[in-house]
Amino acid sequence: METARTVISRRDPARVMRLSRLGSLHQCRLSFMRQLTCRMAREGWSFSRPVFDIDSKGVGHAVYTAHGPERAYSLVAFAHDLPPEKRSDRVIAEAWDATFALFDGIPDPDDIKRLSQNVPLQEAGRVSENELSLSRANRSVRLWAHVVDRLAAGLQPDLEQIYKVGYLMRTTAVYGSGKFGAADREKIADRDEVSAPFQAEMLSVYLTRVFVRDLVQHMARAKGGDQTAELDPEIARWLGIGNSTGLGMAPFIINHPVLFNNWIMVREEAIARVRSLKAATQTETSHFRQIFERSKLSISWWRSDHPIQVRKLGQLRADLKAISDHLTGDSLNYDYPWDRLVTWSETALSEEGQELLASLILEPYGDLVDGLVDCMADSNAGAFIIDGAMPICDVKQMIKGTFGWALDLDWSATENCARAWYVSEEKLEPRLGERFEEPIADYEQPLAPGRDAAAAYDALRGWDDEQPIAEFLLRHPEHRHTVRRLQMGRAAPYGEVHDNTISATVAPIDMLRAKLSFFGATHFDPRSDRWVRICMYAGAPYPDELTVENADFWVYPQVTA
Amino acid sequence: MSFSLNEVEATAKRATRGAGYSWGQAEEAAKATRWLCAQGVDGTAVLADLLQLGLASNPQDHRPGRIDNPWQGEGDLCPLSAGPLLSDCVHLLKDGPVEMKRVVAPVLLLAFVGHAARLLERSLTVEADGELAVTDGVRLTLSETFPVNAEHVTVSFGTAPDGHRKQHTRARPAQDSWDVLNDFARRTYAPATDESRLLGAGAGLSDND
Repeated sequence: METARTVISRRDPARVMRLSRLGSLHQCRLSFMRQLTCRMAREGWSFSRPVFDIDSKGVGHAVYTAHGPERAYSLVAFAHDLPPEKRSDRVIAEAWDATFALFDGIPDPDDIKRLSQNVPLQEAGRVSENELSLSRANRSVRLWAHVVDRLAAGLQPDLEQIYKVGYLMRTTAVYGSGKFGAADREKIADRDEVSAPFQAEMLSVYLTRVFVRDLVQHMARAKGGDQTAELDPEIARWLGIGNSTGLGMAPFIINHPVLFNNWIMVREEAIARVRSLKAATQTETSHFRQIFERSKLSISWWRSDHPIQVRKLGQLRADLKAISDHLTGDSLNYDYPWDRLVTWSETALSEEGQELLASLILEPYGDLVDGLVDCMADSNAGAFIIDGAMPICDVKQMIKGTFGWALDLDWSATENCARAWYVSEEKLEPRLGERFEEPIADYEQPLAPGRDAAAAYDALRGWDDEQPIAEFLLRHPEHRHTVRRLQMGRAAPYGEVHDNTISATVAPIDMLRAKLSFFGATHFDPRSDRWVRICMYAGAPYPDELTVENADFWVYPQVTA
Repeated sequence: MSFSLNEVEATAKRATRGAGYSWGQAEEAAKATRWLCAQGVDGTAVLADLLQLGLASNPQDHRPGRIDNPWQGEGDLCPLSAGPLLSDCVHLLKDGPVEMKRVVAPVLLLAFVGHAARLLERSLTVEADGELAVTDGVRLTLSETFPVNAEHVTVSFGTAPDGHRKQHTRARPAQDSWDVLNDFARRTYAPATDESRLLGAGAGLSDND
């Protein structure tokens, strides 16, 4: 990544990469949904719905096509009549309210037929190199019934209920990158429109939202006939798509340290660039103040019943008050106003508030930071190869640098290794178990880099500092994955979590939130310490409404006087 | 059936771990298998045959005793020890060929030679009992009669591959090999229990809300 001339350097990975902070990250202007909507608007994408063949019970299929400058992508959607007892968001579910594939191009009838025999089965089916993602969604039962009933009665749904839930359907998995036979990432990695991370998946969810709006209208009309109301576009805009996410995302960020580094480092570089500005113009500060007010409105709709998030939301609301008070003065008129603001936040606010502010200060500075998104993909395949010539003393130094915290922990203490990550034979669902209470240790996945680094450090005692690490690895292949990670860390300083991922108190939702925040998710609602619901695209313009003017800031609701 | 290369890599990684190798070697075996499949060589069959030998039960007998030439072990040399060592020690090739004795599944070495070729920005030749393979890390030429096991392997600087194999974006593994890999992979999956189903993932709450 090109480093701009910054006075303020990026924040220290030891500070940023703590789980509690990662679990407090918020979306920002670099997030993947906003990248997609901005690109589609800028490039003048068009959209069509060539097929909508769904019966009065809500069973059938539909096709939505997004036409970019060079290529088209189509969401092939299947709607099902799901009995309530089968509705589960878990990986172990076997049926869903709706299932989807993102087709690379425009499908013909044979493609649709093939997909109809496989997509509804999800993991038990097969897709092909013509498909870029495979996904499914379940209804929010109460909001779905509310919207259908109201429209069928000729009325509009209650906006307050929509704000509270945020979506009519939530996806429960969006599989990309070669899963279940789909195209490998390499097929699309060089295409401008989808080369940034998760753009195909974000497009799939964007089109899913249109399908869900059309489906609820269709079901309302099936129920209400001629008296049925058309869903008000102003209300429809606040229907996002939910997502229900379990443990799979936590292994993802540990297993892709370079990719995860690139996301975090780009955001940190953006923050450093803005903090390094000596002064802010009136236009910039008023833009920031306006976005802050709009952000407060969005946060006022954020609900969670989980005690962890209830506490954090309480802190965040206090933080919002503190920020408002702070901004009433002339604090943005001094030199280095953004750096002053961030520095102030470090002692005045909780981590929720600090990270919200760090994201918000980027908003007025698209010209300064948006180019960084080109650095968010991982194109460094060479990082996988170990440099065996590296002297052992350098490896030890790297362990001390990145995992110093882990060397200070007693890894034999029960509370420090109480958990183990494993994969269940039930549909290969990723799980987290109690090492000393369940028979899972033999199946443990390598998802505790701190523990493993400390073990490597111990094993290196007695080896000559000047010997090449290859000599050690020849005798101790059990440390190869650790040495590889350490060497990757030379170019990926934000690739490692600086916390214990197997402690008795680890909350995997912190890792899930970090990843989801980069998607651009809002309204994180943990359902347990290892499960979270979120909202995507709430407020976003639908394809027929998308313009350059509304493609970027839709995540912040307009404040009406 | 056609599989994505990502599926090949994921399955090979789990299988190699399930067969008793370290996670680091499993990662490398997975990338090597994928690379071979991308070259149109059924890497899954090569890996399946190797894993069935059970060399991971006494790894010390199947790795080079020392880094100096020639590389040999007490028993047959495992390409998942010799291969990673070669890509760890590419600098050795600057001083002359690397020689190995009694290598099983030497085809798997080619992916690691490919790593070395990319790092050195040179084409490398692998001679196994008189049969040749040449790679620059991206392209590969491979003798039709490249041996399944080799008494003597030499890796040295070579000329650029003469022509090359078509690159493949999908793999079509032999069914029996794919089954073998999945059987090994299964050893990494924890048996389902009621407790883990309830507590190990998810929320334990109804999704009918």
